[in-house]
Amino acid sequence: MDYLVGVLLPQLLHGLVFGAALGLLALGLTVIFGLLGVMNFAHGELYMLGAYAGIAVIGVTHSFWVALIAAPILVGVVAAVTEMATLRPIYRREPLYGLILTFGLALVFREGARQIWGGDMRRILPPVTGSTPLLGMTYPNYRLFLLAASSILLLALWLFFTRTRAGIVVRAAVQDAQMLDGLGVNVRRVFTLTFAASGALAALAGLLLAPIFTVYPQMGVEMILLAFIVVILGGMGSMGGSVIAAFVIGIAQSLFSLWMNPQRVAIAIFGIMILVLIVRPRGFLGREGVLE
Amino acid sequence: MRVLGWRAVVVFALLAALPLVPGMSRYYLLLAFDALLFGAIAMSLDLLMGYTGLVSFGHAAFYGLGAYATAILLERGVQSVWACLAFAVVVVGLYALVVAYFATARRGIYFALLTLIFAEVVYTFFRYTQTFGGSDGIQGLPDATILPGVPLDTPLKKYYLVFVYLLAAYAVCRVVVASHFGRVLVAIRENEDRARFLGYNVARYKMGACMISAILTGIGGGIYPMRSAFATPDLMLWTESGEFIISVMIGGLGTLVGPVVGGVFFTLLRDKVSSFVDWYFIVIGLVLVVIVLFMPRGLLGYRKVLGFSQWRASG
Repeated sequence: MDYLVGVLLPQLLHGLVFGAALGLLALGLTVIFGLLGVMNFAHGELYMLGAYAGIAVIGVTHSFWVALIAAPILVGVVAAVTEMATLRPIYRREPLYGLILTFGLALVFREGARQIWGGDMRRILPPVTGSTPLLGMTYPNYRLFLLAASSILLLALWLFFTRTRAGIVVRAAVQDAQMLDGLGVNVRRVFTLTFAASGALAALAGLLLAPIFTVYPQMGVEMILLAFIVVILGGMGSMGGSVIAAFVIGIAQSLFSLWMNPQRVAIAIFGIMILVLIVRPRGFLGREGVLE
Repeated sequence: MRVLGWRAVVVFALLAALPLVPGMSRYYLLLAFDALLFGAIAMSLDLLMGYTGLVSFGHAAFYGLGAYATAILLERGVQSVWACLAFAVVVVGLYALVVAYFATARRGIYFALLTLIFAEVVYTFFRYTQTFGGSDGIQGLPDATILPGVPLDTPLKKYYLVFVYLLAAYAVCRVVVASHFGRVLVAIRENEDRARFLGYNVARYKMGACMISAILTGIGGGIYPMRSAFATPDLMLWTESGEFIISVMIGGLGTLVGPVVGGVFFTLLRDKVSSFVDWYFIVIGLVLVVIVLFMPRGLLGYRKVLGFSQWRASG
């Protein structure tokens, strides 16, 4: 019982918290993949920029809450400009070009951040301190806030995609952009706005996780691999699948780390991934035949 | 000679004479070493990317494993260049057999991601295994020996080693591309299903291309510690694989010569830009973006833009 409450339960909650934030990151990635056919290698850098933009805004306003609104907007604008300038001309080309182009963009963003903010590790202080007694243990308030905020956001996104006209238009564009164009929707604008929104989501995830993790220019490199894994596991282009997979990976990672060193955890996660790609490449909820 | 064609013979003759250029300092010889090594690896990748239509995001693992194979032997007192390279071929070959078997069962982005994840497993293993130095890697290696008593100690000897490697790798690639096997690879790139309907065992051909490309890359990796005197896990990081892909793209996909030029260009660019400013990655990233947007055929890619029908068919 002590083991359950003292070790297993907190770790399970850690996994849930991380999974929720990972879900925000992966959701943007999978929507962009479904919509544009681009595996966005620069997504991790948008996540990183979110944390740095947060630090910058906090430096001016001394408020985490203002940063939580302002940073995603700033990064969203950067993403929109990037999409219009670089991605828009290559939609008609092979997905390979998108992969390579975004790899170049990632280099630019990463090095740009290092030039502006330096290569040191930085920290953001959690805006919510203290801890709450919960189910016989005590759990940090900030992590509870993080879990609540991410879950509410995921719920809001689900409502957006199922209940609003704009969300349905985006889903229609994922299905068949050409047909949507024919129906008179400005598909280009849908692409740009969706890319901006996915960047803003990544930025939000970056800022929300910053008080738990450290902020440094390379922070996106490791997260993007995990986000890729989530997207494949969930089924490329499937939003629901991504969210489920994010929780699975988040919880698996924190449970594995109870019994294994970080090396074995990473290898175990990669192993799961390889297995999925070989046995069931469309993941949990992917459409059959998509890029198999 | 006939395999290479007269233009290649001229270029290789010029490269052989490069150390005779007045003012060729130790620094420039080693820079030439790096440039040719990078070019040769990009060329090996082109065999897979440009000719077979499989984009590997895991070539850094072949490269890094080759480097570790040499470093492990040098550290334990085996100094022969040839023993080191043979060991690199065995190690990389075994690993490539596993990767190729599983990865070639998938196409397009799935192939890219499978190779990427396999490479990350290898990276993680070396990054955290203290027997092989953990994150520091294996440092301070002694010089290798070409023959017993003949050390590979001067930049000139090292340059010629990499020259011979490039020459041999180029000859292998040319022979492969010109052979029946190579033509089937192109057929697979253009339309994998049709190649299968024609009765070719597509999986076996793709595996063959993977193995040749991986082993050539592994030999290049095996040569690297003979110049740098170290092998670190960073050689296996996926960003390194990205740099190989960048070189292929800069030079021109499916041309063999193009990626060599791309690799040389990339190395010189990195060296030149980094000696002026420390934000050379911004320049490299922008060069990549500009090439994708405006010169998708690369510097030497005179052929049509990617006949990657399978990317389309599967999309």
